[in-house]
Amino acid sequence: MTLRQKLLLVALCTLALPVAGWLYVRQMETLLREGQAQALVASARAMARSLVVVDAPLPPAGPAWYLQHTPVPITIDGYGDDWAPLSPWAQTFGSNAKVMLAEDEHWVYFSVEVRAPRRRRADAGDRLALSADHLIVSIASGEDAQRYLLASAAPGPTTAIALDADAGVLPDRINAQWQEDGSGFRVEFRLPRGLRLDHFGLGVHVAADGDTEPLSAETRPLIDFSPSLSQELGRLAPDGVRVRMLSPDAWLVAQSGKLDLPDLPASERPGWFASLVYRSLLATRFDAQSPWAEDVPRVDLPEVREALRGKPATAWRAGEARGSVVLAVAMPVQMRGRLHGVVLLEQPSRAVPLLANRALFGLLLTSFAVLLVAGGVLLLFATRLTIRLRRLRNAAERAQANDGRLDGPFPLTEAGDELGDLARSFARLFEAVGGYTDYLRTLASKLSHELNTPLAIVKSSLDNLDHAGLPAEAEPYLARARDGVARLGALVRAMSEASRMERAIAAAEAEDVNLADIVRGCAEGYRALAGGRRLEVELPPSAVFMHVSPELIAQALDKLFDNALSFTPPDGWMRIALRPTPEGADIELANQGPPLPAAMQGRLFDSLVSLRDKATPGDAPHLGLGLYVVRLVAERHQGSASARNLADGVAFTLHLRGLPRQRLA
Amino acid sequence: MARSIAIVEDEPLIRANYVEALNRFGYETRGYGSRGDASTAFAMRLPELVIIDIGLGDEPEGGFDLCRELRAKSATLPIIFLTARDSDFDVISGLRLGADDYLSKDTSLHQLAARIAALFRRIESLKTPAASETVIEHGPLKLESERMRVLWNGIEIPLTVTEFWMVHTLVRFPGHVKNRDQLMREAELVVDDATITSHIKRIRKKFVALAPEFDAIETVHGVGYRWTP
Repeated sequence: MTLRQKLLLVALCTLALPVAGWLYVRQMETLLREGQAQALVASARAMARSLVVVDAPLPPAGPAWYLQHTPVPITIDGYGDDWAPLSPWAQTFGSNAKVMLAEDEHWVYFSVEVRAPRRRRADAGDRLALSADHLIVSIASGEDAQRYLLASAAPGPTTAIALDADAGVLPDRINAQWQEDGSGFRVEFRLPRGLRLDHFGLGVHVAADGDTEPLSAETRPLIDFSPSLSQELGRLAPDGVRVRMLSPDAWLVAQSGKLDLPDLPASERPGWFASLVYRSLLATRFDAQSPWAEDVPRVDLPEVREALRGKPATAWRAGEARGSVVLAVAMPVQMRGRLHGVVLLEQPSRAVPLLANRALFGLLLTSFAVLLVAGGVLLLFATRLTIRLRRLRNAAERAQANDGRLDGPFPLTEAGDELGDLARSFARLFEAVGGYTDYLRTLASKLSHELNTPLAIVKSSLDNLDHAGLPAEAEPYLARARDGVARLGALVRAMSEASRMERAIAAAEAEDVNLADIVRGCAEGYRALAGGRRLEVELPPSAVFMHVSPELIAQALDKLFDNALSFTPPDGWMRIALRPTPEGADIELANQGPPLPAAMQGRLFDSLVSLRDKATPGDAPHLGLGLYVVRLVAERHQGSASARNLADGVAFTLHLRGLPRQRLA
Repeated sequence: MARSIAIVEDEPLIRANYVEALNRFGYETRGYGSRGDASTAFAMRLPELVIIDIGLGDEPEGGFDLCRELRAKSATLPIIFLTARDSDFDVISGLRLGADDYLSKDTSLHQLAARIAALFRRIESLKTPAASETVIEHGPLKLESERMRVLWNGIEIPLTVTEFWMVHTLVRFPGHVKNRDQLMREAELVVDDATITSHIKRIRKKFVALAPEFDAIETVHGVGYRWTP
């Protein structure tokens, strides 16, 4: 991971800024909502009180029977198909009965479904009717009330018999339909609306359950959707709010207002993205939306349930329109300490999401810009740092490649920061290393130079001894001394040869030559030296012209040949090849012989490295300068030298690219 | 009357050895340990041949300065550089300053004596008219062995003794390739290949300076050089 990448990662710290802002915006949004909720709760409380004060027709306290409105007349046949749209809101009664009540313009319909797997049947007129399965139905209208016994020994039409004496307007018989299946029975009947029923009572008596009061019935007031109360609500409701009045059982008894929002111009309308941002980032605390909360006779919402327990409650929901929210407030309506229902106020609004979104987008934009700026600044800084470090690195590499000698002033040493410190330390280090390298490099030539003088003393003294009239037995000693001095001299010469070669190679002059001529000439010269060894020469068909120093090339070839000669067996083969390459040309000298040890591969062309066995006594030691000279020559020609193993021998290659042309001044 | 030779050498042991040996060869030899001593002595009387060590005491280039001084006094005085330093640079500087020869301290006293004799022979033969000397002629080239003179189209080419012997070696068998070892043996030099190369280069330059069309010394790459008439 580069410094630049690291710094960019560090730049990501600025991302904390939008996060903090986001939290802030959320808080702001919460506050806005709180304010709105409080306002709406206040108006809901006011409404609840007003409703009591103006004596609005509130639903009765306590449980009640709710009449649903049916758009189509219901056929009285004992079967439940035409009740299907109303059945979700069937009212359970006791442990085993479900009751549905509905009304249209003319009729009030009743349907009672009883689960009674074990049956005992008798007709209503039967004496045993009361100990069989039967229903007690009571209805009341104003002052009049009447009870009916409803039973049937067989499915089909049946008649409910009035149990009480004359009851004014109420009929003394009700025609009903009785149907049965394995799990129980259903009873269906209808009464005209003209009766103005206001109470309805029901007693379900199943013989198998062991009934003790066969005539009992539970009477509750009848309620339905009340237009007059709706009007009352409309008068009291604040603008832009839908108000619904619910009975203590959460039945809808009145409604006023709509949830619609005024249409915004297209430019103001939040897009899907904005609303998504709002829903996902800001307003994560939406209450679950109940699919039954719209256009239903029974509003069973959590906040309503809360209010029915006597406590005002609020809830936030996503609105129908995109990007809007709905605030719902449920407020209990109490009169003389009794709960008469709940007022449910719902206020749709776009303001909160819009404001929050705007704030958030502004914030995001700002932090993005800040991030960009910070990232850019850091990138610039990192780039500059990287460039400086790279310069330092390159200088160090150059110095290293140069055996620790600097080829110029070390960069950045003027800088006042830590990098400057580092550069200065580097410079000092390389100065020390370079000095030491120079010392080592010149050690040999210095040593040889220093040794030359004593050698000359010994040599001239020996020469003079010749004439000093030595006895004859001293002659061999003199000869041996001369031998030793000659060997010492050879050693000293070889020691200084490397630095001399370096100088000579650096001073070589170049000309445009056909390399093939050089190789051919050299090969001719080597034939005489090769003895019994086979020497093959491979030359390209066309001339290979290059700007080289022919002497140096020939010299390098000499060294390679000399090298090859000492490793090739007396009847082996040698091959000199010249091959043009895209960059220049390769000259390769291959020979049969032992492979190169792997460990030596990299150091083969270094100074004072030799693969030869220890010199035989009497020979001058081999100092391993040959291949070093080859390398120097190759590098002088902007190329390189390499060695590799063949199947049955080795190959040394000179890769040449030609000397740089001297500008004629 | 013995010929007088001056040896300027800061190493007393070597100086003593050389002085004794040359005296034995029949020369009248004087040794000087420093440039100052030598300059003082030469101001009084010039010797007939001077052997100078390049590094004199604390002056690494003292020999060159002395050589320059002597050349200012006499254009013909034979000067031989004798030194432990055998790098190209020294060779070239020494010979460019007008030394007649340059020998390393490796050279045996016999070789040194032979060189000195050759130089004196040359001086002698330059004084006397060319009579019975061996002259090799090749087209425009005329080579007088005794006087160690080389003429090209009648113009004298100023070669040092070493260079003369190299040309001599090449010209004696024109068309034969002489390798570096042979050239070294002939010139009685013990130096490396690169030095031979630079000698040949300098010989060519000296010829070309006076005769731009000169290209008689041909390089046979990897083998050596030959004279093509």
